[in-house]
Amino acid sequence: MEQEELRLDTVLKVKGLTKTFRRRGRCVSAVRDMSFSAWSGEVLGLLGPNGAGKSTTIKCILGLVQPDSGEVEVFGRDAMQHRRECLRMMSAVLEGSRNVYWRLTPRENVRFFASIQGRDVRRETERLEGLLHLLGLGDWVDVPAMELSQGMKQKTAVACALARDTPLIFLDEPTLGLDVETSIEMRGMIRHLAEVEQRTVVLSSHDMKVVQQVCDRVVIIEDGAVVVDDTTDNLISLFQRRLYRVRGSGRIDGETERQLREIFRNIGLPDVDDDSFLLEVEVARPEALYDLMDILRANGILVEGISQDEPDLERAFLQIIGREEGVRA
Amino acid sequence: MNWILLRGVFEKTIIMWRRYLFNSLSGLATMYIVFCLLFFGFRSVGAAIDVGDTVEGLVVGYLVWVLAIMAYSELSWSVLNEAQAGTLEQMYLSPFGFHWVKAAHLLSTLVLQLAMAGVMLLLMLITTGERLSLDLFSVLPLLLLTVAPVYGVGYMLGGLALVYKRIQAFFQIVQFIFIAFLVVPPGGSPLVQFLPLNLGNHLLRQVMVGGASILQLEVVDLGMLLLVAAVYLAAGLLVFFRCERVARRDGLLGQY
Repeated sequence: MEQEELRLDTVLKVKGLTKTFRRRGRCVSAVRDMSFSAWSGEVLGLLGPNGAGKSTTIKCILGLVQPDSGEVEVFGRDAMQHRRECLRMMSAVLEGSRNVYWRLTPRENVRFFASIQGRDVRRETERLEGLLHLLGLGDWVDVPAMELSQGMKQKTAVACALARDTPLIFLDEPTLGLDVETSIEMRGMIRHLAEVEQRTVVLSSHDMKVVQQVCDRVVIIEDGAVVVDDTTDNLISLFQRRLYRVRGSGRIDGETERQLREIFRNIGLPDVDDDSFLLEVEVARPEALYDLMDILRANGILVEGISQDEPDLERAFLQIIGREEGVRA
Repeated sequence: MNWILLRGVFEKTIIMWRRYLFNSLSGLATMYIVFCLLFFGFRSVGAAIDVGDTVEGLVVGYLVWVLAIMAYSELSWSVLNEAQAGTLEQMYLSPFGFHWVKAAHLLSTLVLQLAMAGVMLLLMLITTGERLSLDLFSVLPLLLLTVAPVYGVGYMLGGLALVYKRIQAFFQIVQFIFIAFLVVPPGGSPLVQFLPLNLGNHLLRQVMVGGASILQLEVVDLGMLLLVAAVYLAAGLLVFFRCERVARRDGLLGQY
C-alpha cells in the first residue's frame, strides 16, 4: 500500500532509510528500508507502537542520528550532503527531551532558539510575542519554565520550534503526558499550522485519536518498516464494516447460533450467559439486519439494545499490524 | 561568526548568569577562601625564610588556575548538562552548526569569566598587599594563550561525555591535575613546557611579576606557547568530532 507518487509540492522525501544500532554486541534494526514523502501544507502522521522506529526515523531525517543507508531530501536538497541548508527549513520538538531551558522563561527560550536559527529577534518581536499568545502562554511569558505545568512546558517547546519559523516541523509525540484540555488545544494548533500557515507537520504518535483528528495522511510503521502509507480517510473507510452489537435477554442456544452462522459470515458472542447475551454480527448489506431480527424473534429472544460499531483508525491500525483477530467467527 | 547568533547566545548567557548569580558568586567566594588559606598558611610557614617573589607567583598561578577551571568546567560540564537537560539536540538543529553555537557560548562565557577573574585578582592583591604589573596589552593575550590548551582538554572531555555519559568523577580529577601542570618548573624538560598552563604561567610571571612586556619575551617561548595552544585545541576538537560521529552513529546525542 506504499505510495510512490511524484508531486511538485513534495517537501520531504525519504527513500530506503535504514538504521541498525549495535547494542552490547547485538544488532537492533531500528529503521528498515523506509520510504515516504510529505507534501506542502499537510499533517503527516507517523503511527506505530512504542519502539516501532518513529523517533529514530525523525532523528535520521534531522541528522541527529546517522543512518546506515538511504536518502533524505528536504525541498529537493539532499539532507545528508547539505545538512545545514536543510536545517534552515526544519525544526523539531523531540520526545523525551525537555527541549527548552528550564531556568529561562518562555519568552527568553523563544528568543534564544529563534536566534540560533538565525532569526533577528529584535525585528521579529511581534511575531514571537504573537506565537506565545497563540499557544496560550500569554500570561506565563515571564515565568521560568521550571515553574510551569507539564502542558505549559510542552507548549513552550512547541513555541521554540515555531519560533525558528521553518516550513517543515517535526513533532515527536507532542501530546504525550498532556492533560485532555491541553491535548485538544495542541491538536487545534497543529491543524492551524497546516491549514492557516501552510506548513508541513510530520507528527509521530502512538495515540490514534490524535493522529485521526489532525493527520491528513498516515504512515504506519511497525518494526522499523512502513506497512501502510495512505490518507487517514482511506484507511478508516478501508476498514469500515457494518458491525452491529445486539444486547438482549433470552438464551442463544446451539440451534440459534447455527441459524445465525448460516447467514452471517462473522458473528461473535463476547458476553453470554443463560438469560442474557451480547452478540456481535457483521452484515454484508443493511437489509441483512432484518434477517437477524427474524432469527432472534423466531427463537424467542428479546432484543434490548442495538448499536453500530463506528470505524476508527485504531481498529484500522490494529488490523493492519495484525493484532486484532476481528469478530470471532 | 554570525552577529545574530552571537547576540542571542550572549543574551542567554547573561540571563543564565543572573539566574545563577548566587551560584556564581559563591563559587568565586569559595575560590577566594581557598586562596586565603593557601596564602596565610604559606606566610606562616614561609615567614622564617626569604620568600622573594613567591607570593606574587602564587597570585599569578592562582589567577591562571581560577580562569582555567572556569573555562574547562564551562566546556566539559556544559555538554553533559545540555545532554541532561535535553537541549543538546536542539543545539545540533541550528543551521549554524553545533560548533558555532558552542563557540559563541564559549566566547560569551569567557567575557564573564575574565570579569570574574579580574575581581579575583583584585581581591588577591588587596589581601596580599602585593603589586603586580597589569599591562593588559601583554597580560590579556598571554592569559588567553595560557588557557587555550584547557579549552582543548575541555573539548576532549566534552566529546567523551557525549559517548560515555558518566564521567563526572574524571572531570573533577582533571581540575586538580591542572595544579600539577602549574607548579612543575618549566626548565626541567622541554616536555614539561608542553603541559597545559605550564609555560604560559611562567611567561605571565615574567610579565606580571617581573614587569616585562610581551614584546620583551623570548620569541621561542611565545612560539612554543602558541604551538601548545594550537596542538591542544586541534587535538581537543579532533577528539570531539570523533566522539560526535560515534554519538550520531549510535544515537547517543539525546541520551543521558
